[in-house]
Amino acid sequence: MGLLFADGGTVQLRKQAGPFEITLFSTPSPLRVGRADLSVMVQRVSDHSPVLDANVKLHLRRRGGDNIIEVFAPARHENATNKLLYAANVNLISAGDWLAEVEVIEGGATADVAGQVMVLPASPPAVAYWPYFALVPLAIALFVFNRWLRRRREYLRPRR
Amino acid sequence: MNPIANAALTSWAWKPLTTAILLSTALIYLRGWVRGRRLLRDPADWNRLGAFVAGLGTLFLALESPLDSFDNLFLSAHMAQHLLLMMIAPPLILMGHPLVPTLRGLPRQFVKEGLGPFLTWRALRQFCDLLTAPVFSWFAFAFSTLFWHMPKFYELALRSPEWHNVQHASFFWTGILFWWPIVQPGAGKPRWPRWAKIPYLLFADIVNTALSAFFVFSGRLLYPTYSAIYAGGLRPQEDQTFAGLIMWVPGSLIYLVPAFVIAMRVLSSPQLLRPATAIRVVRSERVRGKDRLPALVRWRRVAQTAMLLVAVAVMADGFFGPRVAALNLAGVLPWIHWRALSILALIAVGNLFCMACPFTLVRDFSRKIWAGNLRWPRPLRNKWIPAALLLVYLWTYEAFSLWDSPWITAWIIAGYFGAAIVLDGFFRRASFCKYVCPIGQFHFVSSLLSPREIGVKRPETCRACTTHDCIRGNETVRGCELYLFQPKKSGNLDCTFCLDCVKACPHENIGLISIAPAKSLLTDSYRSSLGRLSKRTDLAALVLLFVFGAFVNAAGMVTPVMEWEHRWHAQLGRQAMPLIVGAFVLTGAALLPAFVTLVCAWLNRFAVKESETRDFVRRCVLALVPIGAGMWASHLAFHIATGWSAFWPAVQRIFSGSVQFAAPTISGWLTPLQILLLDAGLLLTLYTIWKIARGSTARLRAAITLTAPWAIVSCALYVAGIWILFQPMQMRGMLH
Repeated sequence: MGLLFADGGTVQLRKQAGPFEITLFSTPSPLRVGRADLSVMVQRVSDHSPVLDANVKLHLRRRGGDNIIEVFAPARHENATNKLLYAANVNLISAGDWLAEVEVIEGGATADVAGQVMVLPASPPAVAYWPYFALVPLAIALFVFNRWLRRRREYLRPRR
Repeated sequence: MNPIANAALTSWAWKPLTTAILLSTALIYLRGWVRGRRLLRDPADWNRLGAFVAGLGTLFLALESPLDSFDNLFLSAHMAQHLLLMMIAPPLILMGHPLVPTLRGLPRQFVKEGLGPFLTWRALRQFCDLLTAPVFSWFAFAFSTLFWHMPKFYELALRSPEWHNVQHASFFWTGILFWWPIVQPGAGKPRWPRWAKIPYLLFADIVNTALSAFFVFSGRLLYPTYSAIYAGGLRPQEDQTFAGLIMWVPGSLIYLVPAFVIAMRVLSSPQLLRPATAIRVVRSERVRGKDRLPALVRWRRVAQTAMLLVAVAVMADGFFGPRVAALNLAGVLPWIHWRALSILALIAVGNLFCMACPFTLVRDFSRKIWAGNLRWPRPLRNKWIPAALLLVYLWTYEAFSLWDSPWITAWIIAGYFGAAIVLDGFFRRASFCKYVCPIGQFHFVSSLLSPREIGVKRPETCRACTTHDCIRGNETVRGCELYLFQPKKSGNLDCTFCLDCVKACPHENIGLISIAPAKSLLTDSYRSSLGRLSKRTDLAALVLLFVFGAFVNAAGMVTPVMEWEHRWHAQLGRQAMPLIVGAFVLTGAALLPAFVTLVCAWLNRFAVKESETRDFVRRCVLALVPIGAGMWASHLAFHIATGWSAFWPAVQRIFSGSVQFAAPTISGWLTPLQILLLDAGLLLTLYTIWKIARGSTARLRAAITLTAPWAIVSCALYVAGIWILFQPMQMRGMLH
C-alpha cells in the first residue's frame, strides 16, 4: 500500500543536461520497497524558469543476481500535487541501489540525467502504521485511567 | 493566464485525513452551536460561529492550498503558511469560544462518562491553568517560533514529513496558547488586567521583528535546501528577503492592530483594571428543532423506486448482458458498490438500505392483488432460517464465485423478488423481512452500531396513549409490520426504517433520534417482539455468523488462503473446490465460533453463577458485533475504494458499445482507514463486554475474569483482521 500524489520530498538528484536543469524528488523519505512517488522538476538553465510542457519519462533499473529489474513510468503533471512537477507512482520491488534515469523531451531538445537511488527494505506493517495500532493501547490506557479517576472521585466524595 | 501562475494556483494538496478532521470539528461545533441556540440565544453567537469557521478555513488554506505544495520550493510560501498557522487560525478559532459548543456537540454520554472524569480532574485543570498563564504561553510561543527557525531544525522539518507535522502542530498549538489570554475564550476570570495585553503583544512583536529583520538583512542563505532547489522567479536570497518581509509587515500588523484596539478601549473605559465580561443573553423561544422525518417519509418511495429501477437494470444486464463481470452491471453494482455503501451507511446513519428496499416496494404492490392472512409458524419465529441462509451465502459466494457471475447474480435478485412476493403473499405482515431475509438480518445486526434509531420522543405521551396506532395501525396507515411496539422498542434490531410507525402515530411522537453506537447492547431490558436478548440463542448464532463470517469472507480473497485452497484442489480433483470452500467456511464461520464460545462459557462459569452463565455468554456474543462490523466495513471499503468507478465500463458498454478501463489504484489513505475501522470495532467490543461484565457482578476481580476470555477472542479477531488486510487481495469485479 503506498502513497499517491504526494510529490516533492527528498531530492534524489539534481543535474544539468543540455538546456535543462533536472531535479528528481522522492517520497517517502527514505525510499523503501513498495510504492513510491517520484517527481521531476525541469527548469531552463538560462533563467531557472520551470518547463511545463515537456515529455518526461522515468526509467529505474536494478541488477539483482542474474536478473535485471526495470521500471518504466511516464511522469505527468496530473499525478502531481505541485503542478510545476511531473510525478509518477512506481512500485519498487527490491531493496538496494537503483539506477534512476530521467529523460526529458521538449520541442526539439532532449536531455537525460541518471543517478543512484538507494531503496531500503520495506518497513514491517507494525512499524509503517504504528500510530494507527498505537490508538488501541492508548485508548485502553485512557479508559483505565478514566475508571481510576471515577473511583477516586467516588472515594473522595463526602458521604452523607 | 501565465502557465506558471496557473500551475501554482491549481496545486492543491488533497489530504483526506486533514480534511476529515477539519470537517468533523466543524460539524461537532455546529451541532453544539445549534443545541446551544435552542437553550439560550446570545447576539454574539453568529460572530462566534463565523470566526470559528473562518479559523478552520484558514487551517485548511494553510495545510491544503498551494502554499503547502510549494513550501519545499519557496521559503516565502512556507512563511505565509506558518503565519496562517500561528497568527491567523488560532485567534479566529478562539474567537469562536469553542469549548462549550464542542462539548455540546459531542454525544452527551461520551462527554459525561468519557470526558467528565478528565474535565473535573484537578491536576489537569491546574496544568491547563499553567499552560494558559500569560507568562508561560508567551514564552512557549516565542520559544516555538525561534526554535523551529533555527537552520538545523528548519532543515530537519524540510527533510522529514513527520518532523514537518510536529513543527506545524507546535506552531498551531503554541499559537492557541499565545492568543488565549488575548481572546479569553471562556467564562473564567481574566488573569491579568486588560492593559497588560498591550505589552504582551508588543513584546511578541519585538521577537517577531528581530527574527524577520534577521531574514531580511543577514545577507546569507539560512536554509540550504531552498538554494539547492531554486525554482525560478525569485532568487533564493530574494525569496528569503520576501519571506522576512511577510513575517515582518503582516506579522507585525497582527500584533499591533489588536494592541492598538485594546489601548483605545482601555483609554476610553472607566473600568481600567476590571475588564467587563457582560453577556447579553436572550432566552430562545423555540426549544425543539424542526423534525425532518416527514421529508424522509416522502422520500422513501422515491428511494425505493430508484433502487427498483437499478435492480431491474442489474437483472436485465445480468440475464442478457455479457458474462464478463467487469463489463456487466450485475457484476459490479451489487458486489462492489451496494455492499460497501450499505455497511458504511449503517455505521454512519442507520438502516437506510432496508428503508429503500426495492423488494418490499414490489411486495406492497403485489399485496393489493394477493394478500394472505396466515400467521408465520410459531416454531419458525426466530433467526435460524436467516442464519442458515447467511451461511449458505458465505459458502456460495466463494465456492461458485458469485461476484464473477452476472447471470447467477441476476437470478439471486429475481429469486429475492419472488420470495418476498410469495411469502408475504401468504403470510401477514413482514414475515419475509423478519424471519427469512438474510440481507435484512445482516442490516439489523449491523444497525446495532448505528448512531440513529426510530424511537419515541416523549415517553410520557406514549404512556397516555390508548390507541397504539404505531403497532396496530389505523384506517389509513398500517402499523409496524415487524411487531415492534415503540414504547418497548430499544435499539435498531428488526427495524427496517420503514417509517410506518412515524406515519401512524397520531401524536407525532416518533422520530429519528440519536443514540450512542452499541448502546442497546449494554442493557438487557425486555424488547418488543424480541424479548430479552440474553435469552435468544438464535440471535447469538446469527451474530457469530455475522462476526466470524466477516473474517472468513475477507480471508477468502487473500493470496495465502486462495493458494491453500488451490493446493487442496489439485490434490482432491476437479469437482472438489465447492467442498474445500465449504469446509473452510463451515470451520471458520460456524465450528470455530461455536468452539470459542463454549470455551469462553466454560471459563465464565468460574466467575458467575452457573444459572447466569448462558445469559452472560449470549450477551457477550452480541458484544462482538462491533469488531465484526469493523471487519466488514474495512473489507468492503477496500472494494469501494479500489473499484468505485468500476460501474463506468458497464455503463459505457450499454450506451456506447466501446469501453475504456482505468487501472485500479490503491490510495494511501485506504490502509489507515481500514486499520481505524478495525480499531474502532475492537475498542467498542471491549467496552461493551466490560460494561456487561460490570453489570453482572459488583466485584472488580470477577468482572476482569469474566471479561478476559472475550477480550482475548476480540483481540485474536483483530490480529486476524490486520493479517488479512496486509495480504495481497484480489480485486474482484474489475479488469486489471
